[in-house]
Parts: sequence; C-alpha cells; structure tokens
Amino acid sequence: MNGAMRTATAWIGGAALLVGLTYVLGGYGLDIYRKLLLTATLALSYNFMFGFAGQIALSHYTFYGIGAYSVTILMTQAGWSLPLAALATIGISAVVALAVAIPANRLEGFYLALATLALAQIFIVALVQGGEFTGGADGIFGFKSPEIFGIPLSGTNFVIALIGLFLGTLAVLQFLGRSYFGRACRAIRDNPRAAAAMGINVARTNIIVFTLTSSLAAIAGIFYAFADRFVNPYVFGIEPMFLLVFMVIVGGTGRHAGAIVGATVLFLLPEFLGDIVGRRYILIYGLLVVLALMFQPNGLIGLYDQLRHRLARRP
Amino acid sequence: MSALLEVRNLTKRFGGLVAVEDLSFDLNAGEILAIIGPNGAGKTTTFNLISGSLKANAGRVVLGGIDITGLPPHKIAGHGIMRTFQHNMPFVSMTVIENVLVGSHRMMRTPWPALMAGSGMAEDRSARVRAQELLAFVGLPDYADRSVGELSFGQGRLLETARALAGRPSMIMFDEPAAGLTPVECQRLAQVIRDIAAQGIAVLLIEHDMNFLLPLAHRVVVLNFGRKIADALPATIAMDAAVIAAYLGTARRKRARAG
Repeated sequence: MNGAMRTATAWIGGAALLVGLTYVLGGYGLDIYRKLLLTATLALSYNFMFGFAGQIALSHYTFYGIGAYSVTILMTQAGWSLPLAALATIGISAVVALAVAIPANRLEGFYLALATLALAQIFIVALVQGGEFTGGADGIFGFKSPEIFGIPLSGTNFVIALIGLFLGTLAVLQFLGRSYFGRACRAIRDNPRAAAAMGINVARTNIIVFTLTSSLAAIAGIFYAFADRFVNPYVFGIEPMFLLVFMVIVGGTGRHAGAIVGATVLFLLPEFLGDIVGRRYILIYGLLVVLALMFQPNGLIGLYDQLRHRLARRP
Repeated sequence: MSALLEVRNLTKRFGGLVAVEDLSFDLNAGEILAIIGPNGAGKTTTFNLISGSLKANAGRVVLGGIDITGLPPHKIAGHGIMRTFQHNMPFVSMTVIENVLVGSHRMMRTPWPALMAGSGMAEDRSARVRAQELLAFVGLPDYADRSVGELSFGQGRLLETARALAGRPSMIMFDEPAAGLTPVECQRLAQVIRDIAAQGIAVLLIEHDMNFLLPLAHRVVVLNFGRKIADALPATIAMDAAVIAAYLGTARRKRARAG
C-alpha cells in the first residue's frame, strides 16, 4: 500500500535523522539535544491533553517530577532494579493521576487549572520538606546510571533511548489521535453536550486522557532522572510548566507537529537570545504567546500550512 | 406487538410549575410522530426527559422493552436514540465527514488501549465508507473534507441528521428541525425524514411549523400546559376544537391584534 509505505518511510527517515544527529553533535550540543528530546516528548503528551481534549491542567511537570523522583527513590533508597522501579513508578503516577482526575472531572475549565496548580505547588513543598527521603531543596544526586542487559544507559546509548521515548510517545499519541477515541476527545473540546448526545461518555474520556497523558509525562520523568543523575524540586516547578503551555500554543495546539515545533523553537531560542537579553527571554515568550493568540491561533504550524497552500496555488 | 418507545405517566415539575404532567404516548418503528403545542406547553421538556438532559419526577420511558428512564445522555444514545439540536451543534474544529464519524462512536468495538498500538484501522475505514454514504443520503456528498464552517445553516441541519444516523439509531429525535430553514431546505429535510422513517427508524419531532409537520407526520400529539390534549392523525388535529382553541386560536387573536 502506497500510503502505508510512505508512512513507514517517514518514520524510518525521521528516526535515522534523529539518531544521526546524536553522532554529529558533541559535548554541549548533545546535552541540549537530550533536554530538547525530553521537552518535546512532554510537549507531545501535554498537547494531547490541552490541545486535543481541551483540558487546561497545570500538573504536567508535577507528573514528570513524580516519575523522576519515584524511580530515583525506589532505586537508590529501596535498592530496586530499574525495570521494577520503572513499572512501580508508572503505577504510582497512574494512581495519583486518577486521584486527581476523578474529583477534578466535576470541575471544568478554569477550576481544573486551579486544582492542578494547587497540586503542583503542594508537590514542590512536599519535595523541599521531604527531608532525607526526597533530599530536600538539594534533591538527590550522584547515583549511577543503570544498565539494561549489561548495556550502560549513558552517553550515546542514553540519547538513543531518549529518541525511542520520543518516537514511542509520538506513535502512541498519533494512533490514538487518529482513532475514534481521538475524535471523541476533540468532540468533547468542541462541544461536550453534543459529544454526549453522540454516545460519548464525557467524564470517562476526560479521566482516561488525564491519566494517560500524565503517565506519559511520568515515563519521560523516569528518563529525566538518568539524564544528569540529578533530581531537584525546582526542575518541576511552575515556571517550566508555563513554558510548556507557551510551547504548545506558539507551535500550534491540537497538532503533534505543532507541539514538536513549539518545543524546539522555544527551547532553543534562549541559546541564541541568552547572550543578548539574558533571562529576559521570558518577556519575549510572553509577547510571542500574545501575538500567536491574536494573529495566529493555529501557531507556527498553521503559518507553515498557509505558506504551503499559497505556494501550491501559484502556477 | 408493543411499540418501540413507550412513554408512561411522565411528570416533570420545576418548583411549583408542572412542565409535563402525566404524559403517556407510544411511538412505533418507522413512524413519524410530531409533538406540538404553544410555547411553554412542555414540548422541549418532554424532549429533554427522553434524551436524558433532564430527570423526570415520575413516570417511565421504555425503549424496546428496556427501561431507560433517567439515564444520562450518552447512555440514551448508547441504547440507540440519536438526536439533532435546534441550534446546530457541529464539532467546529472538524471536517464534515469527521463530524459524521463522531456520530458512529457507539458502534466502535476496538477497546481504547488497543488503539494506541494501531488497532481498529479496518473498523475506522468501514465507518468512513458508511459516513460517506450517509453524506450522500442527506445530500452533502461533495462536502466530506470541507470544514463545517463552510456549510450554510440548512446544510448544517442536514449534517446533524447524517451524524445522528451514523449511530445506527432505532429512533431519531429532531428538535424543531424546520427552525431557521428556507422553504426549499424544509422540503429537502422533510424528504430526508420520510426516507429515514421508510428504513424502519422511529422519528420523534417537536415542531412549531404546521406547514412543515402536517404533511410529514403520521401522527400528532398535542400538549397544552404540560398535558396531552390530543393524539391523532394530522388531518384530525387540524380540525380538533381543543387544539384550535389552544394553538391556532391564540395565533388568530394575535394576528387580529397586530392588524
């Protein structure tokens, strides 16, 4: 089949390109690349919840943190092996997500944002006040990289694993987004009353989406723990959470490509702007979001679509 | 043989106001039943009680022998009652065919976790074929990949109809389907509704427009102040003294006052 073959080619080509970059980049560039892969993975799952399903939650970095801290604590303090600790971590994050999603489902829009914001703040306080268990404000550091089948998860191996995480998350969300389930999510975002009249269980769908995307964030968190072998409360705070919202809006909500483009542009921008404006790049981000909302609600990916249409129309 | 839909002694009170009182009627497969009445007669309340948006204080709604009283809207749809809205409620971010596909949600059998691994594609393809057929059936065959924003109001009503049919309903409910349509669009929609009933699907509609419903309905239930005052053939209704007093009589007085 032509369509299927083209899809397979795109995936293999994309994977080859990402792996190729690993060997081209070195030192500092490779470090940026690893963080970018993690950020883009988070943007993908956040975009599914925020862009596809229209749930305004601010707890994505919290689940990222739950993933990173759980796996670290289970391995360093309880002495569990990586596979066992990873499975338990996914279980913990899913339970926490359900505990948030089921009562929060009675809340809508703005109130879900407030409830998850409160959760995010409580999480940071708990980490800082956690004593030896969480390492307090200093976090936990200096633990060693794990091995999988005798292969150490460090250096280039680790980057390849991150590429697997990124592509795996993309594949799962792509399949889900194109299915009747993805259509149900968008239907709920567009008009919950009409969605219910079509036989869609709105509450159940919302709970599944929140739990699933939050668990995907936790899985990314497991990988984060071994990026620098360092977990710290402030990495999972409110500021990166808002940056994630910005990335999805600037890139283009409700589109996987939009999330990837937004994450890439906003993640790399400080690398170039940092020398000129320092930490004030946040101001520029704020401006970008306002401009995007006013003039380009479909984000950068929408801009790309318009350009492509215009070029295609030209003889 | 008993009727497809049996409404028995349905009552709904809002505080001291009795919106629907002790209402009973039947609806058979393939039948077009219109519920009419002056403003405030309880038509919309009846509609909402059956579709699950409101809970009744008393009475039962039975579909094909199954008691569906008080179920939430998505479960009512799950039992095979689909509906359209008086003010079109399309899913605005989707194309026309995607809107129809949402209507087929209850027919989908692949469990959602399996979808993440790419299952359910064959099911999706056959739903797409059926959605295209339904768009042709209502007269929008060339609009499949257009954005819903490009449809006129009348086309939007036809899309709502196709979307409701995608759930393979045993009964379909229209909430004032003629409202806002041009005479030509009304004729087109009336023909679509006749074709739907001819397939054996029960049609329940609430409507103001007598010119639209009298030639269309097989039977008419008339409400006044929440009570059923007539249940008869359209021709009989047009001559019923109580109906004329409750409905047409008021309109004549209004016209006299306006003149």
